[in-house]
Amino acid sequence: MSTFTITRAQLMDPSQGLNELSDIIIEDGVISKISKAGSTEPSSHQFDAQNTLLLPGLIDLSCHINSIVSETRAAARGGVSLLCTQPNSKPIVDTPADVSSIQQASDQANNSQILPLGALTQGLEGDQLANMVSLKQAGCIALSNARAPIKNALVLRRIMEYAKTHDILIMLTAEDHDLSANGKMHEGPTANRLGLAGIAEVAETTALAQQILLVELTGCRVHFSQISCARSVEMIKAAQDKGLPISADVAIANLLYSDCDVNGFDSTFHVQPPLRSEQDRKALLAGINDGILAICSNHQARDIAAKKAPFAAAEPGMSTLDSWLSMMLTLVAKGELELNSMINACSILPAKILGLEAGLKEQQQANLVIVDQAADVCFGADDLASIGKNNPVLGEPLKGKVCLTLSYGCEVFRA
Amino acid sequence: MTRHSDPTQVQLTADGRLKHFLTTEGLSKDLLTEILDLADSFISTQERAVKKVPLLRGKTVVNLFFENSTRTRSTFELAAKRLSADILNLDIARSATSKGETLMDTLWNLEAMYSDMFVVRHADSGAAHFIAEQVTPGVAIINAGDGRHAHPTQAMLDMLTIRRHKGTLEGQTVAIVGDILHSRVARSQIHALHTLGAKEIRVIGPATLVPKEMEELGAKIYFDMEQGLADVDVVIMLRLQKERMSDALLPSEGEYFKLYGLTEAKLTLAKPDAIVMHPGPINRGVEIDSAVADGDQSVILNQVSYGIAVRMAVMAMAMSGQAAEQAAQKNESQETTGDDA
Repeated sequence: MSTFTITRAQLMDPSQGLNELSDIIIEDGVISKISKAGSTEPSSHQFDAQNTLLLPGLIDLSCHINSIVSETRAAARGGVSLLCTQPNSKPIVDTPADVSSIQQASDQANNSQILPLGALTQGLEGDQLANMVSLKQAGCIALSNARAPIKNALVLRRIMEYAKTHDILIMLTAEDHDLSANGKMHEGPTANRLGLAGIAEVAETTALAQQILLVELTGCRVHFSQISCARSVEMIKAAQDKGLPISADVAIANLLYSDCDVNGFDSTFHVQPPLRSEQDRKALLAGINDGILAICSNHQARDIAAKKAPFAAAEPGMSTLDSWLSMMLTLVAKGELELNSMINACSILPAKILGLEAGLKEQQQANLVIVDQAADVCFGADDLASIGKNNPVLGEPLKGKVCLTLSYGCEVFRA
Repeated sequence: MTRHSDPTQVQLTADGRLKHFLTTEGLSKDLLTEILDLADSFISTQERAVKKVPLLRGKTVVNLFFENSTRTRSTFELAAKRLSADILNLDIARSATSKGETLMDTLWNLEAMYSDMFVVRHADSGAAHFIAEQVTPGVAIINAGDGRHAHPTQAMLDMLTIRRHKGTLEGQTVAIVGDILHSRVARSQIHALHTLGAKEIRVIGPATLVPKEMEELGAKIYFDMEQGLADVDVVIMLRLQKERMSDALLPSEGEYFKLYGLTEAKLTLAKPDAIVMHPGPINRGVEIDSAVADGDQSVILNQVSYGIAVRMAVMAMAMSGQAAEQAAQKNESQETTGDDA
């Protein structure tokens, strides 16, 4: 039996109201004991976590990954224990064989472990249902159509009815592709000044309204990925208050940046969904501080050539996994995000949405992260494990240094 | 937590001189006036038998047009030649990038030919700005139109036209009519008019073609052309592209002309001495009636001849800004070396 002891850690788990200096013993990857600091016998295999925070490991509800080894390593460095990968990889994940090849690659990489999302429709083309039950049986934790359009409301209704029948969680992005057509950034004063085609708020909210009504009809459990507008937060909250089985997350980019950041035509800020107004950013942060929304990395590594082009021609996406936790802790340091809300949004709530064990409890798999919350960090391109250097924080001062990450009890990163 | 270069500042040297010409936004009144004054002085040289001046002698200018435009390209070519530069015309729209070469590949190839200036037209907003950030120091970029963002030389030739016909830009009421949404010309005009002291800038068109955010640039929106034209000094008509009908932005050319076409009757609502402008090429009977286009108040053809002078002015200024910056950096590095020794 392998035993690993973590001593003198400030353990925080808002799901149980925990905020205590603790020792933790992990045996064969399972948390066997959580006790007051100082109550544990010294062991040969131990980690002194003095002056650091010990949090439940981050669970990323959405990232886009092609290179499993490098990107799961980036996740481990960013404090992520488990990550849901969107099915729009190469190849598209729409058969059980695709699922098992991802699982095998994830096992072999031995970094943060992947929870694959399967495609909702065949080839993500939006018109024919994928073998949803087979994908679930193969190990997909949920199904998603990435950001690809679903042909029409009828197909969406059928998807929800079928998913409801077999108790499958589906993840949707709210986007009316006719309204957002050709848009490159948030429709507003900045887009008008720069002459970039805008994506109006209604491209998201009209789709969201339709999807919520279909949830009401079908009773299907739906998670909305990467909402970006203040109005969407209101709509999600109203639907939850009515008792509908829905949840939602926000991409970290939309919490850090607004459309004003596109001012210099910097293609790093070309993302989907687009960076919205400062008012939207504030409302999304409030939604997280109120416990309504989760946070995802929405990580998307792009090579240099894909981003080295005029804004509209550059591929959308931002590489965020390496710096995900530091980005969030920087928002905490600035007073924009509450620490407990942050932990809830990137670990507790995602676990509940996915139906996994939430928080830090005895007899659970050890998914945890130790982070020095007060440490100043600054990422350079060479510090990123991700192949995507399209990360906007390069060279920027951030707060929070990840010291240790465990995924299913395995040490996947140590600083 | 931001880290972007201000698009309006990329075009200036440390001491505020023009080194690229990417947008009229953010440039000072003095600098815009300097462009107009220099262009004015070139107009007189254009009337001479020998039209060349030696300001760009020995320099190589490359016309890099990713979108076709015979007219704009020709005026840039003529402007470069009258400044005594060597000029190379590259019709990229039909060559390199269609063979899979990226914009960056094209640029690196051209730089290897030791060019001194690129005149760039591209369908993507921000393309000229992107290229200016990527090129070797010392190479000047002149924006000949990028997406919907900016067409600064067109705007400056329009400013020169107004100044020459009205004496000044200050206190003028200017109406811009038509497809404001897709117009890089309108955006550049609005910034320039604002800085140069126009009294009122009006944009006229249906809501499908006039974004409400234009108000934040300092323009007043009119959906009704009769109201919008009342007592204006200058009427600028914009070209209407045929695609606007298929994109469901407008029902038909006929209905557009009825509501927003400039006729002699509508023009009487403007001041009696109002001038009529158009960046060309005009669609007779779509946005402008022939009688107005060819009428006494039209200065459309004058705009074309001023265009060469304005392009000569910005090319000369940008090249001299680049030379000054290179010289300053050379001095700086020599001083540093001196300290070490």
